[in-house]
Amino acid sequence: MLIHPDLRALRGDDSPQRAAQAVLAHGLDTWRTAAQVAAVLQDFALFAKHEPLSECDALGALFQAGNPAAACFVAGFVQAAAAMLTSAPLGHLPMRHFDDGVLTTLVLAREGNATLSLVAIAGAALRSRPAAKAARFAPVETWENVLSGTAKVQQVSRRTGGGPATALAVQDRQLSPGSVTHRDEQCEARIVAEVQGMLVTLRLQRRYLSDDPVCEIDLATGRLIHQAANRSQDSRHELMLALLGRMGRSDAAPIMAAMARQEGAVALRWQSLRECLALDTSAGFAALCDVAASPGDPLAVPAGALRAQLLEAHPLLGALDPCPA
Amino acid sequence: MNLPKIDLSSLPDLDTLTGLYGSLLDATRIAESDDSIVVLMTWLYEVLNPL
Repeated sequence: MLIHPDLRALRGDDSPQRAAQAVLAHGLDTWRTAAQVAAVLQDFALFAKHEPLSECDALGALFQAGNPAAACFVAGFVQAAAAMLTSAPLGHLPMRHFDDGVLTTLVLAREGNATLSLVAIAGAALRSRPAAKAARFAPVETWENVLSGTAKVQQVSRRTGGGPATALAVQDRQLSPGSVTHRDEQCEARIVAEVQGMLVTLRLQRRYLSDDPVCEIDLATGRLIHQAANRSQDSRHELMLALLGRMGRSDAAPIMAAMARQEGAVALRWQSLRECLALDTSAGFAALCDVAASPGDPLAVPAGALRAQLLEAHPLLGALDPCPA
Repeated sequence: MNLPKIDLSSLPDLDTLTGLYGSLLDATRIAESDDSIVVLMTWLYEVLNPL
């Protein structure tokens, strides 16, 4: 294996790498102070705090059809980044990124529940992938401006609510440079079917403060095939619950009971109830009874069923039941 | 009162399970996803510097 001498030298002394990172960090700070960038980032901070995009002039201009602001903003970034990497070729841009051979993303700004990213989709690599089987609906609002390339996309709309199968409507659409789209991904998913060359877009996303999960709906049947937590914090808490449960930390039971009672994602609240019941029967059963007795709580029915199951298995618990049957 | 100890495995899950944040079943067209993509990476670190 050939290893460039500069890279080999880093094994013994990583100071050139640190120096390169310092060059990039400084270069990005300078880029952020440019007039247009500073105005966009100032608006982005407001947008992340739930300001409507229409109130954010500089940021909104990036997502107006026919407005050259987006091309100017991205060209400025690319020129700055290319210059930085030329002077520090061993550096990595200190920005969140992703690449899987088809999709490449670079997060230019990230705050709260909002991100501003550069996205590229390689047409040839995309063609080698099988067609999508499912559409993904998430509590996210997305604005996108096509900077270069053309694509054929499918817009998949779903009716909100509904029974086990969701009615989906699929509409084909062409994207070309200058196309600006805005979609509420809770009810409108998008599938990129075909890309000519490389599709490059500027994408602005804001996640709703919602307890609703992300849903994957099978395109052929309209059935839900998977759902996932909408907030990383919920999954983190769920893992913490499991750990505390395995550690037998009964001192955490009051917190678990409180989590089960408060508003939040139903999956997390249900796991709080389960772990709490296993750690501290009394605290867990009291929380279970409260949830079962809360009208309108989506967990009231399963909590009621579990309460009945536990009372049957452990009649002693009847003494704790505030509303005996 | 001497309350029974409840076994976690006897407590049912909800009818529809919710996966961890970022989990995805049909990842063939990940391009449609947002910033919630979670990728697990394996890193190998050298413990000793080569001589």
